[in-house]
Amino acid sequence: MIEILQWSTLATCGLIAAARVPSAVRGENRSLFYIFGLMTVAILLSIEKPYVAIDQALGGINLANLLLRFIIFAAIYFVGIRVTRGFGADSAYRRITGKAGMVVLLVISLALVVLFFMMDTVGSSAGLAAVSEKSERNFVLVEYYGAAGRAYPAYISLVLLPAMVRAVRGRLPILVRIAAALLATGGVAIALTLLFPVVPPEWGAVEFVINYTAVLCFVLGLALIWAARVKNSRVSPAKRTYTEK
Amino acid sequence: MTLPAKAFQRWLQGIAPDASTADVCRISGIKRTTLAQQLVRGKVSVSTVVSISRAYNVNPLSALATFEAYQDLAGPQVPPSRCELVSQVSTPDLLRAVLARPAMEQAGASGTASPPLSAAPHATSVKNWVDAIDDGEVRHRVSAATGVAPQNYSAQLTANRLSPELALATALAAGVGPAGGLVATGLITEEEAGWPPGARQAALDSLSDGDLTALAGDRLQALGKVLRRQEQDQAQTEKIWENLG
Repeated sequence: MIEILQWSTLATCGLIAAARVPSAVRGENRSLFYIFGLMTVAILLSIEKPYVAIDQALGGINLANLLLRFIIFAAIYFVGIRVTRGFGADSAYRRITGKAGMVVLLVISLALVVLFFMMDTVGSSAGLAAVSEKSERNFVLVEYYGAAGRAYPAYISLVLLPAMVRAVRGRLPILVRIAAALLATGGVAIALTLLFPVVPPEWGAVEFVINYTAVLCFVLGLALIWAARVKNSRVSPAKRTYTEK
Repeated sequence: MTLPAKAFQRWLQGIAPDASTADVCRISGIKRTTLAQQLVRGKVSVSTVVSISRAYNVNPLSALATFEAYQDLAGPQVPPSRCELVSQVSTPDLLRAVLARPAMEQAGASGTASPPLSAAPHATSVKNWVDAIDDGEVRHRVSAATGVAPQNYSAQLTANRLSPELALATALAAGVGPAGGLVATGLITEEEAGWPPGARQAALDSLSDGDLTALAGDRLQALGKVLRRQEQDQAQTEKIWENLG
């Protein structure tokens, strides 16, 4: 079940990234292509087999996990910038790119790196599951490391949330409003990941579902806005000739 | 609100005793599936009754009055007030009337008879009608009488819609002729409501230059607001597509 979710999320994201190649070549919103590309790589790295293969190439000390965290940070940072710009959420934009946003990013990144090198990380293992089992100390460190890795996406998605709720209630085209609802759902899911340390271990599957729900919501939300634009540009020339007659 | 199918069948028996459902549909131009569905659900729409009564040369107003929910439509017809009549003049017609007034005529282009008024309803006829009969408390009284939330009522007006029972309730709450709202919503014609021919033109002519100009100003201001809001929405949508499309 979880495997299906993982691979289908990867496929969805990869297909959208591939579909954006032509417009990226034309120079239309390249950063969106990078967002989808980064997300695809991030999902790839969170699946066991590709993760182990890539990490082995990087020396087998789970550097790929650290890389994954920063890829997620980069993707979510660009999502934050694009979405706040697009939806005209200026205060949210400042909270991401301004001093506060930079301080949050810096502190979390430092914590992430420091925690990573405090652990004994030898032996590739997706999600650092095997690393965590090595010792009590490692177990605690992995928990903190994971929390730091989820903190930045949660920060961005909470910053985006008010603007998304406003957009859903507004008078924008219906596809854009559905997209905003998806982005808001994804944001809530990411914020929920902060609660993972208190989730009982037997509910492990819940964590997977929340993670992939968040990714899917973000990817589909962004893709839907794109679809709305494509649809509009197809409809409006016809409309124009009709009214100009 | 719809009409109970039983009462509808009884009424239909009265005006077309021997006609089959198929005949009724053919004569009145209603789709057979539509009527069949309404009968199965036990809820016949008001517009069905209006179409059928027109087809059988029955006044739709008196037809509706035979149903319990619309019995207020029975009785002697109350002539429409001047402000109701003027509210059913479309904004373009109103502006033409302003331009034809001596106060506005400087170029001496007088003598051209203005074209006849376009028939009610017009693009903002529902909102203009309610504004014309509103003493400031009508919306509250309607919402108290029908249990419809004020914001839902306002939303209908903004969309230039009003369900027949709300139109009736509004007229009753404002103390004007019960059929006025049905004319403003386009359910029945002025003639069917017993408005004298040329009444709107006469009401328009009876306005002083000052009143007419002020009214036209109000209409233009409202129109400007709507157009500006549409432009803002459009600009926001464009911005979203520019950043995320």
